[in-house]
Amino acid sequence: MTDTLTISGLTVELGPPGSPPILDRVSLTVGPGEIVALVGESGSGKSMTAMSLMRLLPPGARMRADAISLGDIDVLHASEHEMNHIRGARISMLFQQPKRMLDPTATVGAQVAEPLRLCLGLSRSQAHARVIELLADVGIAEPERRAHSYAHQLSGGIAQRVMIAMALAGQPDVLIADEPTTALDVTVEVQILQLIAAKRAKLGMSALFVSHDLGVVSSVADRIAVMYAGRIVEEGTTREILHSPQHPYTKALVKCAMLKPEADGSLYTILGDANAARAVSHGCRFRARCLVCTAEHLEQKCESEEPELAGCGRAEHSSRCWATIETRKAR
Amino acid sequence: MIFLLRRFVVLLCTLASVSFLVFLIPYLTPGDPARKILQARTGELNLDPSAVEAARVRYGLDKPVIEQYWNWGQNALHGDLGLSYTSRTQVSDLVGSALAVTTSLAVAALFIALVAALPLGSLAAIRRGKASDIAITTVTQGFVALPEYWVAPMLVLVFALKLGILPSAGWTGPASMILPAVTLSLRPLSYFTQVTRASMVDVLESPHLTAARSRGLSFAQAMLRHGLRNGLLPVVTLFSIWLAGLLGGSVVIEVIFAVPGMGRLLYQAVTDGDVPVIQAGIVCIVALTVLITTLTDLLYALINPTVRSSNVSR
Ligand SMILES: Nc1ncnc2c1ncn2[C@@H]1O[C@H](COP(=O)(O)OP(=O)(O)OP(=O)(O)O)[C@@H](O)[C@H]1O
Ligand code: SF4
Ligand SMILES: [Mg+2]
Repeated sequence: MTDTLTISGLTVELGPPGSPPILDRVSLTVGPGEIVALVGESGSGKSMTAMSLMRLLPPGARMRADAISLGDIDVLHASEHEMNHIRGARISMLFQQPKRMLDPTATVGAQVAEPLRLCLGLSRSQAHARVIELLADVGIAEPERRAHSYAHQLSGGIAQRVMIAMALAGQPDVLIADEPTTALDVTVEVQILQLIAAKRAKLGMSALFVSHDLGVVSSVADRIAVMYAGRIVEEGTTREILHSPQHPYTKALVKCAMLKPEADGSLYTILGDANAARAVSHGCRFRARCLVCTAEHLEQKCESEEPELAGCGRAEHSSRCWATIETRKAR
Repeated sequence: MIFLLRRFVVLLCTLASVSFLVFLIPYLTPGDPARKILQARTGELNLDPSAVEAARVRYGLDKPVIEQYWNWGQNALHGDLGLSYTSRTQVSDLVGSALAVTTSLAVAALFIALVAALPLGSLAAIRRGKASDIAITTVTQGFVALPEYWVAPMLVLVFALKLGILPSAGWTGPASMILPAVTLSLRPLSYFTQVTRASMVDVLESPHLTAARSRGLSFAQAMLRHGLRNGLLPVVTLFSIWLAGLLGGSVVIEVIFAVPGMGRLLYQAVTDGDVPVIQAGIVCIVALTVLITTLTDLLYALINPTVRSSNVSR
């Protein structure tokens, strides 16, 4: 089995000093062989978390953390040179738009072969043989022919298979999958999810699965962490999160995912704007969109102080909400 | 193959139509061509009408325009561009040697521009917004504003007169090319740098570069293998535009440095009304321009597979 991936107190800032952080003290662990899903709406900071782990944040981003580690590797303090040996070999990544992640001017084969030659030191013919093997292994028909294709000649599904082949080539311990199926057709989505699941099981990798779609996540993840405006607001086993969500935001997400029409026939939507929440300097970030707060007469608490991510009395389940904390105290 | 063939047909059509238009030039300007030629050669304003008629017959100007064009075109294809009206030497010799001079000067200047602009532009892109970026951008943009008639004497003053390491004028060998080439390179250098910078900024933000790095490639490896090629595409195009543009020669530079190039030749020919030289000069420039554009398109297709997608996909 592989090592544990630990993130603790990860804060990322972008833009002028003093602007609200993109990520605010994010902590997360992915145990050996475990699949953890990171869920949240667009802009909540999921990709930023993933890129922080790869140490590939956009230029100008300032990252701080108490620790980022994989087993005994200190990813946070690794040099750039060390990172080049960690990326692809210990931690690999899949992306949302596979076609844009391939160099338009290089063939698929050349790109898959590249890390094999540069990082693993294979000879040209060894690398070529391995490329064909890897492509066939991710279910690409006629791998010899595909190796000569360019990105613009591939469908999104095939391109993602190529990306998977590349991500797995170095037999990493952890796979970070940043919305790997969001840009794909629903039928292709299922195939790709199954492929990832099969490969993960076979190689014994652990995975951080980023998605905005609870439906997708519930079929693959062991645990779910919910992110809101750069903060983890709830964390628990997939079962717990889906069947007894605690945080009002998670509850809303679950409700959205179930797509059950309301009494009046309309679909449930979460009102309000998530991006404004990042700038909230005190109190709970979900306050402006929260219905529970008023219902439970918690306005004063929710306005003045941000709740801790606290256990809610069930195993491995915690939530960042005063209502949860109060209910627990009352019991 | 179809791609090549199509380009070749376009090339021929362009040449045919442009050469015809160029051939018409003397007829489109006011005045009697035969009279203008004689005036240019003799310097006399009051010409004997019989002498004008004699010249008209001698130069074949009495025949229909189409026939004249046909004769001229046939001769041109055999490398015979006629005689200069003023010096009675072969036009092909005059234009050939001037074009050779101008082309070597242009290539030298653009080479200098490129060698400087690629690293400068890339550096500015990588250090975007920092002091070095601002310095590079400001200085190279300033080059555009420097007039050649100021830069050239300054360079002569410093490198020829003060330091005495380079010839001040003439066309006597590689050393004599340096100062005019440097003068000529400043403006393309400025544009190349800006375009390199802009295109490298795009490249640096391109997702596939991040993806390449996520597989363990270092920044330099990812840049060299997946950045430069994409980043160079716009520069290739700009290079060919400049090369074609410089083939007409620069009168200012050629006069100051006494370079026997196209600029001076054409300027003189226009002043003298030396029609065969003008015609041949322009047609040669156009032919080379079309050739360069075609070669650029081929090179572009070679670098960028999406352009030739229809031919590649099997
Ligand atoms: N290069 C960048 N420069 C400035 N701000 C950025 C940049 N990339 C992302 N952001 C900001 O960071 C925040 C988090 O972005 P991130 O991409 O992590 O969101 P996400 O949860 O992955 O969303 P999505 O579902 O849209 O992918 C967003 O508010 C976004 O505006
Ligand atoms: S802390 Fe208050 S505002 Fe925030 S989610 Fe809980 S109840 Fe709503
Ligand atoms: Mg994202």
